[in-house]
Amino acid sequence: MKSLEKIKTAVLACLLSVFAFGSTVLAQGNPTLSDAEVASAAVTANQIDIDFAAIAKEKSKDTQVLKFAETMANDHRAVIEQAVALAKKLSVTPKDNAVTQQLKADAEKTKAQLRAKSGKAFDKAYIDNEVAYHTSVISAVKDLLIPETENEELKELLMSVVPALEAHLEHAKMIQHNMSKK
Amino acid sequence: MFSVLMAVYKVLLPCALLLLAGSPMAAEKQASKTHRVEIAQMKFNPSSLSVRPGDTVVFVNLDVVTHDVTEASGKLWKSPPLAAKSTWKKVMKTSANYYCSLHPVMKGTITVK
Repeated sequence: MKSLEKIKTAVLACLLSVFAFGSTVLAQGNPTLSDAEVASAAVTANQIDIDFAAIAKEKSKDTQVLKFAETMANDHRAVIEQAVALAKKLSVTPKDNAVTQQLKADAEKTKAQLRAKSGKAFDKAYIDNEVAYHTSVISAVKDLLIPETENEELKELLMSVVPALEAHLEHAKMIQHNMSKK
Repeated sequence: MFSVLMAVYKVLLPCALLLLAGSPMAAEKQASKTHRVEIAQMKFNPSSLSVRPGDTVVFVNLDVVTHDVTEASGKLWKSPPLAAKSTWKKVMKTSANYYCSLHPVMKGTITVK
C-alpha cells in the first residue's frame, strides 16, 4: 500500500514536472492525489504544452520556431498517448482536481503573455520559455523523481522521457542562440 | 580442328570464370550487406557506421516520437517521417553525414569505403 502511494506520488510529480512549469509544481508542494486525478493532471499538462505550440503556430512566421512548435505538439501528443495507456493500465478515469485547475490557471496567464506579443518579441518569449521549462523539468525528473521511484516500470517510463526532454532543450537552445545572432 | 577448339574452350572457360569471380563488381555484389541503425532514446545507434558501396542501411525507430533521417546538406536525400516502430532503408553509394530534422541534435555518419 505504501508502495502504491509512492508510485502515485511519483507519477504525479513526474507528470506535473515534465509537462508543467516548475513553479506550479513547487506551489503545490507534495499533493496527494488519486490515480484518477493524476491522470487528469497529466493529460491537462500535456495539452497545455500543445496549446502553447498552437499559439506559436498561429503567431510566428519564423520557420525554425514553427518547426519547433510542430515537433513539440507532436512529441507531447505521443507522450499523452503513453500517459493514457498508463492510466488505462492502472484502470483509472481522469478526474479534475486542484492541481489540474492550478495548471490551467497558470497556463492561461502564460498564454495571455504570449498572445500579447508579436513578431520577434513573441518568438523570443516562446523559445525562452521553452528553454526555462525544459531545464527545470529535466532537473526535477533526474534528481528527484527517478531516485524516488520504486516501481521499475514507472522508473523506466521516467528514464525514457529524459532523452526527449534533453533533445527538446538543446533544440530550443539552438534556436535561442540563432535568434541572438540576428 | 574440333579437338583444338575444345582444348581452347576448356582452357578459356575456367579462366573466364576466374576473372569474373575476381572482378570488383562480383566482389561488391558478394560483400553487399544490410546494416541496422536503431533510433532510440533520441539517438542514432550506431551513430557512426562504415559500409561498402551498395550496402543497405535500415533505420528502425524504437522511440515513441516521430523521427526522420536527413542528409546533412538537406539536398541529397531525406526519409519520410518515421513514426514509432516504422523503418526506412537506403542503399548507400557515397558517404554522408545525417541528422533528424525534427530533433536536430540527433546526428550520425555513414562512411562508404
